[in-house]
Amino acid sequence: MTGLKLRGVRKSYDAVEVIKGVDLDIAPGEFVVFVGPSGCGKSTLLRMIAGLEEISGGDLFIGDKRMNDVDPAQRGIAMVFQSYALYPHMTVRENMGFALRFAKKPKDEIAQAVNEAARILELGPLLDRRPKDLSGGQRQRVAIGRAIVSHPDVFLFDEPLSNLDAELRVHMRIEVARLHKELATTIIYVTHDQVEAMTLADKIVVMRAGVVEQVGSPLALYDDPDNLFVAGFIGSPKMNFLAGVVEQDTVRLPEFGNQSIPLGHLTHPPAQGSEVTVGIRPESFKRGGDAGLELTIEIVEHLGNESFAYARQSGGQMLTLATENGRSLQPGQRIAARFNPAQIMVFDKSGQRIR
Amino acid sequence: MTRIFAQLRLGLVYGALSLAAFVSIFPFFWMLVGTTNTANDIIKGKVTFGSALFDNIANLFAQVDMLQVFWNSAFLAIVGTILTLAISSLAGYAFEMFPSKTRERVFAVLLLTLSIPFAAIMVPLFVMMAKLTLINTFTAILLPSIASVFIIFYFRQATKAFPHELRDAAKIDGLKEWQIFLYIYLPVMRSTYAAAIIIVFMANWNNYLWPLIVLQTNDNKTLTLVVSSLASSYYPDYGVVMVATVLATLPTIIVFFLLQRRFVEGLTGSVK
Repeated sequence: MTGLKLRGVRKSYDAVEVIKGVDLDIAPGEFVVFVGPSGCGKSTLLRMIAGLEEISGGDLFIGDKRMNDVDPAQRGIAMVFQSYALYPHMTVRENMGFALRFAKKPKDEIAQAVNEAARILELGPLLDRRPKDLSGGQRQRVAIGRAIVSHPDVFLFDEPLSNLDAELRVHMRIEVARLHKELATTIIYVTHDQVEAMTLADKIVVMRAGVVEQVGSPLALYDDPDNLFVAGFIGSPKMNFLAGVVEQDTVRLPEFGNQSIPLGHLTHPPAQGSEVTVGIRPESFKRGGDAGLELTIEIVEHLGNESFAYARQSGGQMLTLATENGRSLQPGQRIAARFNPAQIMVFDKSGQRIR
Repeated sequence: MTRIFAQLRLGLVYGALSLAAFVSIFPFFWMLVGTTNTANDIIKGKVTFGSALFDNIANLFAQVDMLQVFWNSAFLAIVGTILTLAISSLAGYAFEMFPSKTRERVFAVLLLTLSIPFAAIMVPLFVMMAKLTLINTFTAILLPSIASVFIIFYFRQATKAFPHELRDAAKIDGLKEWQIFLYIYLPVMRSTYAAAIIIVFMANWNNYLWPLIVLQTNDNKTLTLVVSSLASSYYPDYGVVMVATVLATLPTIIVFFLLQRRFVEGLTGSVK
């Protein structure tokens, strides 16, 4: 098993810098997910690791070897693409064995590797078909199979499930997790879907505008985000953000009838009078709790196991509430949304978390 | 009343279509009929099959070294097509795959050359070939045509539909750029190539003006030149001309029918 080290990795297109100095350690066998909004540079960073984009600055190590200028095929990586990138003029078997055939491996070794990958991914009956005769899910499995066959040190996945429908995406997500368990190889996985990120990753790397905003385990990012962006990006539905002003040991919420929430749980409370953003997760609203907001429900969505209510004070900003016992909630209903003030997160004006 | 109008309309449509079909097909029919008639019959306007086919064929082969002429045409068309496709498809691929600051400007200049008629460059080209001592050689025919701006443009446009991720996947599989071109691009774009083969082969086979200027001895003449000289002699034997015309038409028809399915795919977008 092989790990990776990125040290000050940069990428520029002429004067435009798209990756602005990434430092990252990936342990051998780790499942790392790069996540972030479109255009944040996550795919570019993955392609730089693959060798498909030049690295403008910094160092990339795969294992102990500096790989900045090494050919993609010599980096010990295999990549699965969003569009599958299967060679349309070859059968599944030829697609999977192509890299080995090209590396002049013996025929029986190729056949054995292809059959082994086909067994793992249950592709046996499809081996003599061409990509155009396969469904989206099958094509994706072939693409993964092609990656497995070359026994890489590191798997790179570039939004591999984006083209699949919702049901198949869940199925393939489980397949990828199973595969990681079976192969125990380092995986770097790019997605904009935070559910994929949360469910698959050992470690999530949240990116924005070419910068790594935070690195951590899924639950660490959920429980303890460093800034407003990560807090808003991780968690579904999105965290509620309320404007507030610090007064003594409380934060006053001007848009919510100047109600105050105690800030006793902060070790380094912000200065008096400073403007802050208060973050409350939709699922933090419970029956009971020491603080509360008087709200009127406007819209209710029942998903069966839980309900989402969208509520506000007159003229104020809309808040999202998630509750497991919300079947009786009705639009127009006035509620006191209770929560534990120790669960709120406070961010300063620049969006950094105040702890 | 409306029914009568509808039938009248239908009748007019069929009439117009029949006329168009007749205008398209009659020359071919007349060409075939002509091969079986004597020159006198053809001039008189005879449109039924006659019995002079074998005489006409014999006369043609007596007047012209047909094997040599056919070989000349075939050689120029086949070698020209292979070279044009190799050079121009490589250029189209490169124009699309390798971004550079000057790429669009160079391409614009290339496209601009499409607006210059061949007649305008004919004389300088002839002088150039003369200075290279290539007059009356096949090289003089082939050289100016192998980098065809139209085919470069055609391949560049077609390459836009070629999935770039296939190239990335091939790089990870260990292929060099020329191997990607040969083992991935070429088979994936085969419909584009088929359409280009038809276009270039026909252009080469039917090429008249440039060979007329450059090829000066009889043993180098192509079929189009021979047909033209037969038809423009003092007393043209039209039966012989028709036989030569049929022979000149056959290869393009064969190539087209062999590749017609791919030709249509190639023109409507070949990458699936």
